[in-house]
Amino acid sequence: MKSNLYNHPFFISIIVALLVNINGIAQQSDLSNYRTRFDFKTVKQVDNSRLLEVTFMALNKTDRKDQLPVYEAEIQFFNILNDEEMLLGTSKTSNEGIAQLILPENQKYRTDGEGYINLRARFNGTAALSEEEGDLMVKDLHLDLNLTEIDSVKTVTLTAFTVDSLGVKTPVSDVDIITYVKAMLSKMNIDEGTISDGEYSFTMPQNFAGNPQGNLTITSIIDDNDEFGNIIQEKTVHWGTFNKPLKQDKNMLWTKAAPIWMYVVLTILLLGVWINYIYTIANLFIIKKEGDNLSSEPKKNYTVK
Amino acid sequence: MQLDNRKRELVKEFSPMLEKTSLLTKIWIVTLISIISVGIYAFVIQFKEGHIVTGMRDNVVWGLYIINFIFFVCLSYSGAFISGILHFFRTPWKNSVTRIVEIITVLSIIVGPIFILLCIGRLDRLYFLFLYPRIQSPITWDIIAIITDLVGCFIYLYLTFIPDFAILRDSPDLKLPSWRKKLYKYLAINFQDTPDQRKRLHNTTSIMSKMVIAMAIVAYTVLAWIFSLTLQPGWNSTIFAPDFIVAGLYSGVSVIIIAMYLIRKYFKLEKYIVKSHFIMAAMVLLVLSLLLGYFTFSDYFAKWFSHKIADIDLLHTLFGHYFWMFILANYVGFIIPLVILSIKKLRTIKLITFAALIAVLGLWLNRYLIVIPTLETPYLPIQDTRPEFIQYTATWVEWSLSFAGIAAFLLFFTLLIKFIPIISMSGIIDDERRKLKTKEDANKSISYK
Repeated sequence: MKSNLYNHPFFISIIVALLVNINGIAQQSDLSNYRTRFDFKTVKQVDNSRLLEVTFMALNKTDRKDQLPVYEAEIQFFNILNDEEMLLGTSKTSNEGIAQLILPENQKYRTDGEGYINLRARFNGTAALSEEEGDLMVKDLHLDLNLTEIDSVKTVTLTAFTVDSLGVKTPVSDVDIITYVKAMLSKMNIDEGTISDGEYSFTMPQNFAGNPQGNLTITSIIDDNDEFGNIIQEKTVHWGTFNKPLKQDKNMLWTKAAPIWMYVVLTILLLGVWINYIYTIANLFIIKKEGDNLSSEPKKNYTVK
Repeated sequence: MQLDNRKRELVKEFSPMLEKTSLLTKIWIVTLISIISVGIYAFVIQFKEGHIVTGMRDNVVWGLYIINFIFFVCLSYSGAFISGILHFFRTPWKNSVTRIVEIITVLSIIVGPIFILLCIGRLDRLYFLFLYPRIQSPITWDIIAIITDLVGCFIYLYLTFIPDFAILRDSPDLKLPSWRKKLYKYLAINFQDTPDQRKRLHNTTSIMSKMVIAMAIVAYTVLAWIFSLTLQPGWNSTIFAPDFIVAGLYSGVSVIIIAMYLIRKYFKLEKYIVKSHFIMAAMVLLVLSLLLGYFTFSDYFAKWFSHKIADIDLLHTLFGHYFWMFILANYVGFIIPLVILSIKKLRTIKLITFAALIAVLGLWLNRYLIVIPTLETPYLPIQDTRPEFIQYTATWVEWSLSFAGIAAFLLFFTLLIKFIPIISMSGIIDDERRKLKTKEDANKSISYK
């Protein structure tokens, strides 16, 4: 039997073109096309715990958009001093390629002579992926956020200091800090400044709505500082001026009786129309009466001829 | 005396319409009665079995009946509007069409509300609407508007008929049964065409013509609000009220064109219904098609652009399941009349009538698309997934009753034009009287010089 396909060269050529198209061939994953990125960072969190985080990605060398997370990779986190490694913990990368380890506030760290904590994250490598390692050194900074209201002036005060092995507090200087207010979807920047002699303060702008209870969450962040890394401090305070509606709207249409204006409008409209009808009918009676008066006169008939 | 002769001529000219019933007319009447009988049978079934014999279910609670209701009621309002305009502006060519318009107005306001009664599941509770009306409800407003409009249209129609009844009463040689002559006498209320009576009747009719224009706008708006004041996707639109007015006028003018064509053809009234009547109506229809097309586009474009989930679901339904109906209603229904009416060479009587026919069909489908797809895409997902609960399909009962409604409209129209001349004789006489007076005034002014 002869195939009908030969009768349709146009469609055949399209199918053939699709079959030989390089994009139509299933791609093979070839790791030689990728290089890996191993980012290590630390964040001192609101509760003074410390987050150690590694982002492990495979990036295509030619296509920047092609980024693959390396998941289920075991990452070891160390505190190091003089080439001696102390294991802090291990964590596996998630489906997004992120491994996290949270160390509690009372975690003891070994520090060097200058007071730096030296941290290391390591991936030991597999047959397919080579070993990766990242180092960090940060000083442990204590950041306090104080919110005070004196004579209706709301003031945000930030104090920052380091504590040495003897327990002596040393105020820090030249550290940039940004303060935000938490909004429904994102953070709203309200102030940017620099800590000097361990302190920075500013007057809180007025008229933030806050949540329905009138609470505001204020967050101060030291972002990627060379010496101290990332530090976040946060507090919630009843400074919001959430305006409750004075009177809850009632849907008048659900009530038993309609709003008065509705009765008024309807009555006016109906009266207007029906009075006109009555007037018209009255006129018809007058016309009839006029006709009755004429009835004594001879009527004119139109004869069809 | 000259005018009395003219009256005689007119009675002589139109008497065959009133006196004789041709075989074709008889067949036509029997056919219409047969269609109505099938409709009555369908109604009995619906009354006994309930709405289960229709395609209406828990979600799609409105079907063909409400579409026909909107269509007929809009037709009536547009008739009242056009008739009022014709009378108010004393349009010189109105005599040939005004009676057609008035009859369409009254008959459609009678037939339209019957469909809403068919839509009510518990007719035995109908009186609750009057016992416990909720003034807040647009349904109550609509009932008030329809009843008021019905009474107003009857009065207006009667006012325009009185002088013709008087002419027919004063024509003893008309070969009509005595009951009809008595009826003409009774309905003519002793109108003797005196200047006083004429003036009074004219003033009253003039006021009523303004009233029916205002009432038509109010009633149209209330009808549109039944839909647009609900939060249903596709209905909650501010453009609905003006859109209903324009759509109603569009269908009204189209039906008038079709009626003019058929009446002109059947009664051989080429002398009275001339090409210029069709051209005038075509121009009005052209403007209305442009306006309605613009309103429709604006409404759907706003829905598409705002990208609200419910509206997008509705648009998916319209462009999916109802794709061809949407094309027919909103493209073919506007574009074909637009092309025919905007090209001068195409503006022949037959093509104008064809354009009007397309416009009527397109507009009926447009009403279908307003009602059904919206009810098929509610805010909450439909719980019962049986196909008949998700998609509406009209049953034979609904189609029978729909056709019965159309047949009843046509039957009443046929009977009414057997009762009163389709061309207003008194209107022609009035025009000639006015011309005569102008001529006399002109002669007087010449003689004074």
